[in-house]
Amino acid sequence: MPKFPGIRGFFLDEVPLLRQSSRGVRGVSIPDCGLKKTGLKKDEGAYINKKFIRKDPPNLPEVSEPSVVRHFTRLSSWNMCVDSVFYPLGSCTMKYNPKINEKIAGLENIKNIHPETPSFLIQPLLKIIHDFNCILCELTGLAEFSFAPQAGAAGEFAGLKIIKKYFDMKGKNRKKILVPDSSHGTNPASSVLAGFTPVEIKTGNAGTLAAEALEKYISKDVAGIMITNPNTFGIFEKDIRKISDIMHKNGSFVYMDGANFNAFLGNARVSDMGIDIIQLNLHKTFSTPHGGGGPGSGAIGVVESLKEYLPVPYVKAVIKSGANVKSGVVDNGHIKQDIKGAIKAKGLKSGSGLFYVTAADKKYTIGRMAPFLCSFAVLVRAYAYLLSLGKNNIGSVSEIAVLNANYVKKKLAKILQGSDPFEEGLCMHECVFNDKAIEESGVSTLELAKLLIDYGFHPPTVYFPKNIHGAIMIEPTETESIRTIDSFIKAVEEIKFKVKKSRAVKSPQKTKIGRVNEVLANKKPVFKY
Amino acid sequence: MNNFRYFPASKRDIAKLYRFLGIKDKKELFGKIIGDIPLIDADAFKILPEEMDEEFLNRFFLNVSSGIPAKDKFSVFAGGGIYSHFVPAAIDALISRSEFYTPYTPYQPEVSQGTLFALFEFQSMIAEILGMDVVNASMYDGAESLAEAVLMAMRLSPANRDMPASHKEDIILISGGVNPGCDSVIKTFTGGTGVKIVKIKLNGITGRTDIEDLKQKLASGSARVPAVVVQQPNYFGIIEDLEELERLIKNIAIEPLFIVSSTEPYSFGVINPPGFYGADIFAGEGNSFGNYMNFGGPLLGLFAAKKDYVRQMPGRIAGKTKDGKGRDAYAFILSTREQHIRRGAATSNICTNSSLNAVRAAIYLSLCSKTGFKEIAFLNLKLAHILRDKLLCTGLFEPLYSGDFFNEFSLKIKKNKNGIGAALFIEEMAKRGILAGIAASESAIIISATENNNISEIEKYVLNAKEVLYA
Repeated sequence: MPKFPGIRGFFLDEVPLLRQSSRGVRGVSIPDCGLKKTGLKKDEGAYINKKFIRKDPPNLPEVSEPSVVRHFTRLSSWNMCVDSVFYPLGSCTMKYNPKINEKIAGLENIKNIHPETPSFLIQPLLKIIHDFNCILCELTGLAEFSFAPQAGAAGEFAGLKIIKKYFDMKGKNRKKILVPDSSHGTNPASSVLAGFTPVEIKTGNAGTLAAEALEKYISKDVAGIMITNPNTFGIFEKDIRKISDIMHKNGSFVYMDGANFNAFLGNARVSDMGIDIIQLNLHKTFSTPHGGGGPGSGAIGVVESLKEYLPVPYVKAVIKSGANVKSGVVDNGHIKQDIKGAIKAKGLKSGSGLFYVTAADKKYTIGRMAPFLCSFAVLVRAYAYLLSLGKNNIGSVSEIAVLNANYVKKKLAKILQGSDPFEEGLCMHECVFNDKAIEESGVSTLELAKLLIDYGFHPPTVYFPKNIHGAIMIEPTETESIRTIDSFIKAVEEIKFKVKKSRAVKSPQKTKIGRVNEVLANKKPVFKY
Repeated sequence: MNNFRYFPASKRDIAKLYRFLGIKDKKELFGKIIGDIPLIDADAFKILPEEMDEEFLNRFFLNVSSGIPAKDKFSVFAGGGIYSHFVPAAIDALISRSEFYTPYTPYQPEVSQGTLFALFEFQSMIAEILGMDVVNASMYDGAESLAEAVLMAMRLSPANRDMPASHKEDIILISGGVNPGCDSVIKTFTGGTGVKIVKIKLNGITGRTDIEDLKQKLASGSARVPAVVVQQPNYFGIIEDLEELERLIKNIAIEPLFIVSSTEPYSFGVINPPGFYGADIFAGEGNSFGNYMNFGGPLLGLFAAKKDYVRQMPGRIAGKTKDGKGRDAYAFILSTREQHIRRGAATSNICTNSSLNAVRAAIYLSLCSKTGFKEIAFLNLKLAHILRDKLLCTGLFEPLYSGDFFNEFSLKIKKNKNGIGAALFIEEMAKRGILAGIAASESAIIISATENNNISEIEKYVLNAKEVLYA
């Protein structure tokens, strides 16, 4: 068995489909729709005013089904992906995407439901949304979630809008959101979008935000803090409770960027850290595929006092017993579902007197985020993931993720001497190195990344966070074996000690194309054929 | 002891890792990291059940599936922003390739050429369909895309260059024909900026954006108007006269940006696209191209603009370039607009988008090809007109508007002795296996027909409508 997965490249070239066109060819079957008798003889002008009619049809390729299939199959072979390589992209949680979840999301009836289908016909789907909400509340200790936000950044935006609305309702104009300089770029961008001014907190070399350091930023103008925990160095914010207390004492909110929730999923709750709002990236922690850049889901959860600010619409359960009608999400004890019981009853006719409806009755809602209820196809995969694990395995996810990351950290610290800015302590789900040691070998962070590709690994996140020089951010996740991780470490070691500069500048060499000319790409941008 | 199937680490491996780190167990590990934050265990979960084996899980969801309307027994005639279109099997087969669905954003272009090439083809084909210069690599959905378009117009408005933070004087004119869902999302996004959203009336007869009303609103007061927003075809299915609107807007001294939206860009297989009428920005929904309805999401936001505005566009853009050896290569370009570089000064906060759905659209449009796209669009046009004619023939309905339409139209249910209005009609029809449309008011419904509806389904609709309303 070879030491490294990257041995040599074999690629099949493809030209754009537009250049493979033959006039009149197509790869789709046009349904008959029972129109045979009448045919399609009449032209469009028989139906609509001629001035609206398009004379030049869009110049799409003219290709057959096999041509399309070969084209995109070849294209796909030019991608590295989680299923083919170790993909330790820090802050992105590139864990394995379970195949059963794809099968479930692909069930014919589920994927073909129109969002305006009346509630009485789709009780099992609404129940999934409701029950998933309850489980996320258990995992976080928060009071209620909304599935309106379509991705992490949308969740941040929703959370900040909630804070904004809260102060608006109180007639207060608090303008500032505190954002540590190590945060994801989406944090300050979302703050601006929500109408706040982000104020950067310098975190310095400590790796964490000290409660004392926070004090000088506090004023009555501060609406809240956006804190990533564990932060983007992969380090748990030890002062989190003190930080929350300081913020709460000031009447401000604590928003947690939950992008790194995989660090303590099932082992600790954010409610115990004093968090008021969090977004959970279902495409990270909850195993739904990243899709080459999306779609994802940025479910947002809040404490009891902010429930009425959540986006609409949402799913609520209505329980009828005699004349009493109660409704809500996660009404402790009253509306609580026994999932296994419901299965026996085929999910619907449980006779429990429960009915699920879509509602918009949130008193202070920030409004709508999306045209419909939620990204259901993402949500159903995440729900299936949780049911697969169950409460007996859920805690192992973050346990193994943290063990793996610390294994990488400790092993690499020996190879990249003096490059671990936080050598003393333990990290959580990811670890960060600077470029000191590799620079000594004459290799830059970018070159390390490109060289790793030739060894058969997807590079870690590089040059982020900005305050680590030439940052290399590694997140192995719990779905990688020690054997794989060892092989990756061995590759870094070889790069550090054996690779010549001449090879480094030319890497990657085994890929379909070599290093991309980004200057040309931006100087003379070409957007389409 | 066996491990859980998604974890490659055996129990022995885990023990080895603990030994390597010099830590006893989970309690010590987390204790050292999170300090006095309490650790939770399985007892903390009342609702999350014990693990389900794969077959049990499979059955659980098969039960869910059998508890909802079956695809082949339930006819969908509802649109309202999302449409039931045929999805060829080749799309699912190609998209189920891990190389497409399991990587993330192409931060490393050398190992992401497949996704980048496909997105470049997506951008090219969408640009063709819309008649626009630059298309980005996708937004979340049509509503968010449109909201971002409005924000972009506010950034671009000439007056804004002097006073960037204040939009108190600004008015965005939005046609009454814009999908109400999109409308609400625009309000959520612009909420903090001070900008005022003003609705343009629809003409009561044609159902098109009322030119006189727009004229008045553009002329009245000293307010700045960064953008006029219309939807094509509009929420009620009516084809807007973009030519007339363009003429009016382009004659204003400080020209507002002309933003055209659409929830059904399939219409541009039959009618002139937004670019034909000088639209500055197009922002709409692309789910109709090769994507399932998925109970409302995830969807596919389309975003396009004139070339001059590219540096204010949100989202990722795939561009064509060369590698060191002069070979064709693809990469994301102009990323200095984006949050991961610009942070608070970015044009948008968007990061993860709808990339995979965009690749689905690229595959779909390739399969359709030039002639198929046009023919399927024509088929939609024809089926919707047949259905409307047949429903009007029953004498139970009357047209809500007279304007031309593509695959969606609105009817009013005439007064009937049962007093059945739109909501009850839809409920009764749903019990009979037909999603009859979307209630637009107490008596009006919006109905769509696509290539997924054949003549016998149309006849079934008419027959059942008669029964429901006569009964």
